[in-house]
Amino acid sequence: MATTACFIIVSRNDIPIYESEVGTATKREDAAQLHQFILHAALDIVQDLAWTTSAMYLKSIDRFNDLVVSVYVTAGHTRFMLLHDSRNDDGIKSFFQEVHELYIKILLNPLYLPGSRITSSHFDTKVRALARKYL
Amino acid sequence: MEPDVSIESSARIQVAVLPIGTVPSNMLRDYYSMLLPLHRIPLSAISSFYTEHQKSPFAHQPWDSGFLQFKFVLGGSQPSPWEDFQSHRKTLAVIGICHCPSSPDLDSVIEQFSNSCKSYPSSLVARCFAFCPDDSQLEDGGKKGGNLRLFPPADRQTLEFHLNTMMQEVAASLLMEFEKWVLQAESSGTILKTPLDSQASLSSEEVIKAKKRRLGRAQKTIGDYCLLAGSPVDANAHYSTAVELARLTGDYFWHAGALEGSVCALLIDRMGQKDSILEDEVRYRYSSVILNYKKSQDNAQRVSPLSFELEATLKLARFLCRRELAKEVTELLTNAADGAKSLIDASDRLILFIEIARLYGSLGYERKAAFFTRQVAQLYLQQDNRLAAISALQVLALTTKAYHVQSRASMFENSIPHKGIGSSVADSGKKYPQSAVSLFESHWSTLQMVVLREILLSAVRAGDPLAAWSAAARLLRSYYPLITPVGQNGLASALKNSAERLPPGTRCADPALPFIRLHSFPLHPTQMDIVKRNTAREDWWAGSAPSGPFIYTPFSKGESNNVKKQELIWVVGEPVQVLVELANPCGFDLKVDSIYLSVHSGNFDAFPVSVSLPPNSSKVITLSGIPTSVGVVSVPGCIVHCFGVVTEHLFKDVDNLLLGAAQGLVLSDPFRCCGSPKLRNVSVPNISVVPPLPLLVSHVVGGDGAIILYEGEIRDVSICLANAGTVPVEQAHISLSGKNQDAVLSYSFEILQSCLPLKPGAEVILPVTLRAWQVGLVDPDTSAAKSASGSIMRHVKDGINPSLLIHYAGPLQTSGNPQSNGSNVPPGRRLVVPLHICVLPGLSFVKARLLSMEFPAHVGENLPKLADTNSNSNGGHADSQTKMDRLVKIDPFRGSWGLRFLELELSNPTDVVFDIRVTVKLENSSDEGNLFGDQDAAEYGYPQTRIDRDCSARVLVPLEHFKLPVLDDSFFMKDVQADGVGGRNTTFSEKNTKAELNACIKNLISRIKVSWHSGRNSSGELNIKDAVQAALQTSIMDVLLPDPLTFGFRLVRNDFDSEKPEAEKESNVDDVQSPSKDSVLAHEMTPMEVLVRNNTKDLIKMNLNVTCRDVAGENCVDGAKATVLWTGVLNDITMEIPPLKEVRQSFCLYFLVPGEYTLAAAAVINDANDILRTRARTNSADEPIFCRGPPYHVRVIGTA
Repeated sequence: MATTACFIIVSRNDIPIYESEVGTATKREDAAQLHQFILHAALDIVQDLAWTTSAMYLKSIDRFNDLVVSVYVTAGHTRFMLLHDSRNDDGIKSFFQEVHELYIKILLNPLYLPGSRITSSHFDTKVRALARKYL
Repeated sequence: MEPDVSIESSARIQVAVLPIGTVPSNMLRDYYSMLLPLHRIPLSAISSFYTEHQKSPFAHQPWDSGFLQFKFVLGGSQPSPWEDFQSHRKTLAVIGICHCPSSPDLDSVIEQFSNSCKSYPSSLVARCFAFCPDDSQLEDGGKKGGNLRLFPPADRQTLEFHLNTMMQEVAASLLMEFEKWVLQAESSGTILKTPLDSQASLSSEEVIKAKKRRLGRAQKTIGDYCLLAGSPVDANAHYSTAVELARLTGDYFWHAGALEGSVCALLIDRMGQKDSILEDEVRYRYSSVILNYKKSQDNAQRVSPLSFELEATLKLARFLCRRELAKEVTELLTNAADGAKSLIDASDRLILFIEIARLYGSLGYERKAAFFTRQVAQLYLQQDNRLAAISALQVLALTTKAYHVQSRASMFENSIPHKGIGSSVADSGKKYPQSAVSLFESHWSTLQMVVLREILLSAVRAGDPLAAWSAAARLLRSYYPLITPVGQNGLASALKNSAERLPPGTRCADPALPFIRLHSFPLHPTQMDIVKRNTAREDWWAGSAPSGPFIYTPFSKGESNNVKKQELIWVVGEPVQVLVELANPCGFDLKVDSIYLSVHSGNFDAFPVSVSLPPNSSKVITLSGIPTSVGVVSVPGCIVHCFGVVTEHLFKDVDNLLLGAAQGLVLSDPFRCCGSPKLRNVSVPNISVVPPLPLLVSHVVGGDGAIILYEGEIRDVSICLANAGTVPVEQAHISLSGKNQDAVLSYSFEILQSCLPLKPGAEVILPVTLRAWQVGLVDPDTSAAKSASGSIMRHVKDGINPSLLIHYAGPLQTSGNPQSNGSNVPPGRRLVVPLHICVLPGLSFVKARLLSMEFPAHVGENLPKLADTNSNSNGGHADSQTKMDRLVKIDPFRGSWGLRFLELELSNPTDVVFDIRVTVKLENSSDEGNLFGDQDAAEYGYPQTRIDRDCSARVLVPLEHFKLPVLDDSFFMKDVQADGVGGRNTTFSEKNTKAELNACIKNLISRIKVSWHSGRNSSGELNIKDAVQAALQTSIMDVLLPDPLTFGFRLVRNDFDSEKPEAEKESNVDDVQSPSKDSVLAHEMTPMEVLVRNNTKDLIKMNLNVTCRDVAGENCVDGAKATVLWTGVLNDITMEIPPLKEVRQSFCLYFLVPGEYTLAAAAVINDANDILRTRARTNSADEPIFCRGPPYHVRVIGTA
């Protein structure tokens, strides 16, 4: 498991709709802020990169210091962004794929308005479990 | 590291620009700005100043197309330790700038300048430019010569030209110096050192190596000078040699430097032409440059050439910086950013991040740029001084756009140049760029809060209170739900502290708290409602005002154009009000020093109010103002003076916020979290201001409070109308509206009409008569339920009260505008005067019932007045007091058999005393039997009955006076005045319908009035009609109709003449009770008469029987134990009575035993007609009709 990891889902309107610190490192507020700043900045790169490949998993696309940003773009241009300091590429890919399935289940909920915040605690639990499993 | 590096920067000659003496900063800026465009001097231009002393080492100098480039550094810079390595880091020239008027002594100027130049040992050329010399200085300076150059005062263009010439001269001098230096370096060689080179004594091996290296380094430096001299071809040749030598000696650092120089020479040679081959070449060479710099770091040196590697990376990135190569540039910049950790010098890191941010910015990666900009700001903030904080503040301001936390002030600044370009059409659509985007972007709230907090921090450190205030305001307003109450308090105190350092009345574009939304535009209060005037009609107000209780009427559908957008009319000079709702969702007390409507059109005076809002509360307040001139008013928001700063709060922003909250896109709805109910979206109506109108104000004379009336009370009320406007009222009309309109008995329109035109200030008093309605008839709940809804339903607000509608208008044409046509007439107005009537339950009516009383009459000498069963004939010449007595006193000799009373039971639940007075109005109508003519419409009052509080009382109303004198069909014909003789109608029973009966009852009831009064001025009538009607329903015929036959007994004494004049009988009224006269003695023959009167208009045949009973009720005439003897006929006396006549039958009685006896007459009517049958309520025609007279008492005295 990665010591630092921050997972965030950004809707197609560039709104973060889900965010969680999934690292094992003790949480520090300024670090969490920095993570968000890095992820926010990485959106610029994703925006260009997403159109250059047909793959959903964009691998690591950006880094700042020793923190790497890996991105997975769904067909609806929802972006799963993971900030991590580990290099477990396969694990991250699996993580993204499983989260994608969870996200699709969320989307299938008729009461969920696409693009709005994901508040399901079930989703949160599952994502954290996946993070423990793969990262 | 240096800022703003590029590949070409190796070819720029660094020139220090120094102010000499005192130069005002604006003048310095001015002179510097003139110098800046001269950063590139073509070689062709300097040839006139150039003299070739020796053979130039720059063999391939392109004199026709080449140029020298300058980099001006204002204030100069510290000599770099790396200046040997890269000659463009040397300050090669010094230019002094002197403003002669402020430093008159030219000698001292020259001295200062030469002193300044000493700190630039590498400088080859020094010139001092003195501007604006006066004549003496000109003269003086001309002699001085040397480095001083005087610029005579002239216009800017001339000065620029002059300066250009001077710079050409400087350039030529530099070129000559370069030549000199290169020739010297080639011949003798120089020692070139960098901080990288070991300072320690070199070993012999290293000395040999160093010698070889020195050659390569010299070649590289000569190449640098060639480049500076604008000769890329020469430079390239030297660089190539240097690259070879450096490679051989493993001098990586200089190798990289030479390569860099060669790339620069290549680019200069190509004169900025870019193609893919060149690009590839540059990319290839630079990658080896970077590689070589990297290699040079291997040795564990005290000084790291890392900054050169990063600089090279940045140079390449800048060269490649295009959208298509974004990926490559990003890669380079990411690598550069990685290097930041290893940089020792903080300012190097600062420059690195700045450059990275700039490059990302030019790449169009705003968020990346913002990220690094924020890193820069953090570096600035680490330096704990004010200047750094100012820089941090400025840098952070650049990031606000990417993070969507812009100050509104900066947004306006940005939008202005856009408009200048002419894209006004596109702009108009998104006038407030924040509105839509920020709604959707606000979920990066963590970032936004961090950025705003940093702005606040840096602004506080930088001592910029306005920026601090603005940041704190944005933070508090947008993110209060995420901030703890302690943090909110902190922000509030930050706002206050900042405001203390601001001059009072400072404006800030960013609103803080409270949140303000439009609550409603109250339409005009009903007192000043404006009505469109239709000049074509007499009733000009019709159709334009909402009339009736319906919101929608199908007839108004045609004018649907004003349904969409509300139209509001304000009148010049009349205060108007707008309701706004304020919310303070934070955990501190908010004191709004003043708040008033913000009106940009300038024709409105707004009145400020001050409000204080407790934590987590909302409040609806009324903002008012006065329109000052005719035109259109728009109210976009409010100006708020809060936390010491004036801000404008736009309604639109809050509307967007609420919209976002409704969709779950923004954090929280500030109004809902304050417990304010959800409000429909209020749109700002079109408001137009019209010229002054008359204004009637009304008040009820004697106080405007509710008029308290008891049920049924009648009162006169005066309403005072005054014209409070500045225009006379010329037309007026009064009508009634609302419920209970019949409560207004009358109002005097004529009085108002007679006062027109009502001048400003004049007043008129309008009398109105009111009668209170019954409380129970109106449901009081309906009014309470509907009064909450807004102004549309304002009619309902008055609830059950009636109101006077007064439509009035000023003159048709205003004097100032004579050509105003019919369509442009000033509107009229409507005044609604609600008559606040509060009806208290007064006397309450419990029940009514009919009581019958039977008093038998005494047989006396006087004949009971059989002919007049109305029995009011006695009162003919008595005064009203006796009349009244008559009504209630019973004449025992007359008796009142069949007398009926209406008993009204009343209770008084109030706490005042009521006096009840029953009056009966008698109509002198169909009564031919009435002997007195003065009975017309006589009213009889009964004594007052007082009912104390919480008591009940019964009031008796005798009904005997209503009997008709004649039993005929007129009663059933409902025609009281029917012809007495000809009204015979045998088929009347068919007409005896219920309706007629009811009409008759009503007629009867209407004559009975129960009036009350209480206290000094409350009086009214009790509405008991229904109750009385119910009570009378069953026995109305008994009350109204006389029996067909009336019977009477009389003693016949000495005088047999029964036809005494009436008056004489009347004189005996008082002594009829004396027993001596009327009593009968036992054992004496008592002559008596029975009188039978026919009350019908038909001849009646009948059999008369007279009976006499003792007190025990035994018949004492017949039978074995008869105690009364008689003469004459008592039984079965057959007689015929002509219509309305009476017949006497005489007989004598002889009483054997003294005591009380009762005489009664009875008759069986033969051949009864229908009238009689109906009266007798017989069912079959065969049934005999039996008439019984009332009993008469006879008192027999004497001894047995």
